[in-house]
Amino acid sequence: MPEPISRRGFLKAAILAPLMPALLAACRRAGDQRVVNFFNWSNYIGKDTLPEFTRRTGIAVRYDLFADEDEMFTKLRAGARGYDLIVVGDYLIPRFKSLNLIDPVPAGTLKNLGNLAPRFRRPIYDPEETTVPYLWGTTGIAYNKKKLKKAPTSWWDLWDEKYKDRVSMLDNVRDCISVAMQLLGIPQTTRDPEDFRRIRELLVRQKPLVKQYSSSSYLNSLVAGEIDLAMTWSGDLFQTARENPDLDYVLPKEGTYMWVDCMAILRGARHRADTLRLIDYLLEPDVAAGIANSMRYATPNLAADPLVDQSLRRDPRVYPTPGVAKRLQLHHVLDSEQSELWSQTWADVKVA
Amino acid sequence: MDRALSWLLGGRKPAASHLLLAPASLWLIFFLIIPAGGLVLLSFAKTGPYGAIVWEFGFQNYRRAFDTKYLPVFARTLAFAGGTTALCLVLGYPLAYYLTFRAGRWRNALLVGLMVPFWSSCLVAYYSWMIVLGKEGLLNTALIRAGFLSAPIGFLYTPFAILLGLVYFYLPFTVLPLYASLEKVPRSVIEAAYDLGAGRWTAFFKVTLPLSLPGVVAGCVLTFIPCLGDFLTVEILGGPRYYLLGNLISNQFMMAQDWPFGSALTSILLAGLVGGLWLYQRWEKA
Amino acid sequence: MSAKRRGMGLYCAGLFSFLYLPLVVMFVFSFNDARRNVVWRGFTLKWYKALFHNTELMSAMLTSLELAATAAAIAAVLGMLASYAMVKHKPFRGRGAYDALLNVPLMMPEVALGVGVLTFLVRAGYELDFMALACSHALICLPYTVAAVRARLISLQESSLEDAAMDLGATEWQAFAKVTLPLAMPAIFSGALLSFTVSFQDFVTSFFVAGIGIVTMPIKVYSMMKFGVTPEINALSVCLLLATFLLIGLNAAFAVRPDESSRH
Repeated sequence: MPEPISRRGFLKAAILAPLMPALLAACRRAGDQRVVNFFNWSNYIGKDTLPEFTRRTGIAVRYDLFADEDEMFTKLRAGARGYDLIVVGDYLIPRFKSLNLIDPVPAGTLKNLGNLAPRFRRPIYDPEETTVPYLWGTTGIAYNKKKLKKAPTSWWDLWDEKYKDRVSMLDNVRDCISVAMQLLGIPQTTRDPEDFRRIRELLVRQKPLVKQYSSSSYLNSLVAGEIDLAMTWSGDLFQTARENPDLDYVLPKEGTYMWVDCMAILRGARHRADTLRLIDYLLEPDVAAGIANSMRYATPNLAADPLVDQSLRRDPRVYPTPGVAKRLQLHHVLDSEQSELWSQTWADVKVA
Repeated sequence: MDRALSWLLGGRKPAASHLLLAPASLWLIFFLIIPAGGLVLLSFAKTGPYGAIVWEFGFQNYRRAFDTKYLPVFARTLAFAGGTTALCLVLGYPLAYYLTFRAGRWRNALLVGLMVPFWSSCLVAYYSWMIVLGKEGLLNTALIRAGFLSAPIGFLYTPFAILLGLVYFYLPFTVLPLYASLEKVPRSVIEAAYDLGAGRWTAFFKVTLPLSLPGVVAGCVLTFIPCLGDFLTVEILGGPRYYLLGNLISNQFMMAQDWPFGSALTSILLAGLVGGLWLYQRWEKA
Repeated sequence: MSAKRRGMGLYCAGLFSFLYLPLVVMFVFSFNDARRNVVWRGFTLKWYKALFHNTELMSAMLTSLELAATAAAIAAVLGMLASYAMVKHKPFRGRGAYDALLNVPLMMPEVALGVGVLTFLVRAGYELDFMALACSHALICLPYTVAAVRARLISLQESSLEDAAMDLGATEWQAFAKVTLPLAMPAIFSGALLSFTVSFQDFVTSFFVAGIGIVTMPIKVYSMMKFGVTPEINALSVCLLLATFLLIGLNAAFAVRPDESSRH
């Protein structure tokens, strides 16, 4: 007789199962707590950062995830709303603004804004300070010390025939085109089609050597020894290097770019006051230092500096020496025409 | 009640057919026709500053899509989708056959077992393949230890890896429809063929295979068509030289933020497939 | 004969090992003492421990299971009704159009579908919730159900059992409930299995259509790519698979297959 019973049980389970999320949701809603909806990468924050915020203020944080900024931008552009706070790269901010997707942080509402280092106040990508810097880093070259006889020093090493099939490049317009421009000595302000033809040619020439264009899964390939040389973002590599101590990072001698991930309030945010409170909290020196320490990224928070791990603070790869730092530039803010030329060039490289 | 339901199921009046199809139609209208219609409209618009959409009617996106630089992408996509479908069919048919006629009491368990590998995250499965196929991966290590190889082979980021990934993911989608239709081939008909002196192969080719054709078609459709739009496989297992249509389209929507062009490419893909299906139907009827 | 039979069994075992090889790797690497799970760094059980304290991951898994079950159920009903009308009914005007349309969800590149559905729902003023996501998944699943059920109904048509029942005086409804539906059950089941799998795996559509606070397993896992997909995910997948195998095993051990007697 076990059969009909197990069947009925199965049926019951089948009927009950779809009701579960409704029940769970009902339980969640019953709390009727104050909440901020935060849209970010998985784990792009300190482990205790948000629970501590909730403990102090009673405001819960609902942490939603995206895998990639372009994807996140597409979703918001298509009209998804309800997120209060998002983390967004500096180069996307003009685009966000042009589509009216950001609610500016009102001047004078953040008491901890003064903690930021002067170089991060009124940055060129956002002179009105509608957004708040979160973490920053550089674009450079990751390599495997054991596999390479000589450490790379220049962006040209990524074009070296010797490393055929051992190289990966970030799958990102901004970084790849900037590097090509730097190598060709072309200013980022250009609109000359001839310049873009040369850029395309340079990148297409590199293509046979490249094993992957990727902005995240190449990190696995680095750890696994599939590739030995990669264009990378500093913090991502330092996190990865914990898994493989043979990995190291260099800033190419030609100089390089820095990028800033920023916090922005999404247009139409329903929990503005609480969101501002969260931003202010994230600007507190100990909180900012905690995030930097667990992420191995540099914090733009000057007041947090003394609280950052010494090993991190003294690491010239994370906090470049003053000489190098002076040569670090933010990406030029592209107008729409340039932006179009850049993406078109990159798209052509991918198709070629 | 019985009469009303019988009217509905009997389907002597077209109204009954449409009524039975109404729920599915509702879904198709709200989740497919309206959204896809929106994209078709969008494909005639222009891309403005920072990817903003400018509503000026024109065919410029279509003209761009037929630029010769995209031809290799279309050709490559067809080749990979076709190759995957053929491999899945050749590999999967014997399996479906075995499940139907030989597996006995384990049939249902094996059927579920066929799908279970895919109830983990597909990304984890890809990563597992990377562990197997990597330069310092399990396969290379094993081959080198056994003395078959002196230097590791780069399996990853090659057409081989892409095909492997696609076949891995679409095989069950070929096998299950095949099984569903083989399952209903009456044994008596096959036995009759034997009784008439047909050999195993003759019986198979003259009886079993033709009767399972609906399943073959269904399996091919479920494999070939999604393959055309697949982009994650290439993104994770494929190298920079194997850019497929799915990648091209998703890049227009995400990285390039050129939605009108992405929509035009989507419309072309849809038109090609719907047209192909229509031709197939006419051919089938003729 | 028996050698050939064994040969075929071996072939199938080979194919199954191809499908299960990544699972074995996944299982082994769930004990890997590394955060980025690509190289073996030593044995540990810590990920299983971590897993049971990781409420985020657990709730993502639950959400995905619920989502896949709901979508598969909706698609099964829609698909059964639609296939029935397409196969059993007298040819009617517009059948060709339905036929084509039912396949179109397969053709839509996922990103285009996700963006399209999201834009439409937002314009329509619908707040993105669990049901919106489940319904859009049901659409993606629909072609799979239809394909499986249709193939079966066509084969049934040829055996004309339903006609026989009606000749014996059964009404259409009785013939359907007593003959067609039970005989179509395996196909509905395999269609639902396909649907469940498709929905459970889906990342792109889920990402776009998911509203606030809805995080499925694929969304969680893809988002972890940047900072490392930890063996916790392997551990979770292993638990899920073990549970499934347990259920299958129990079912195979206890159940008497209802169609066994009718088929031979």
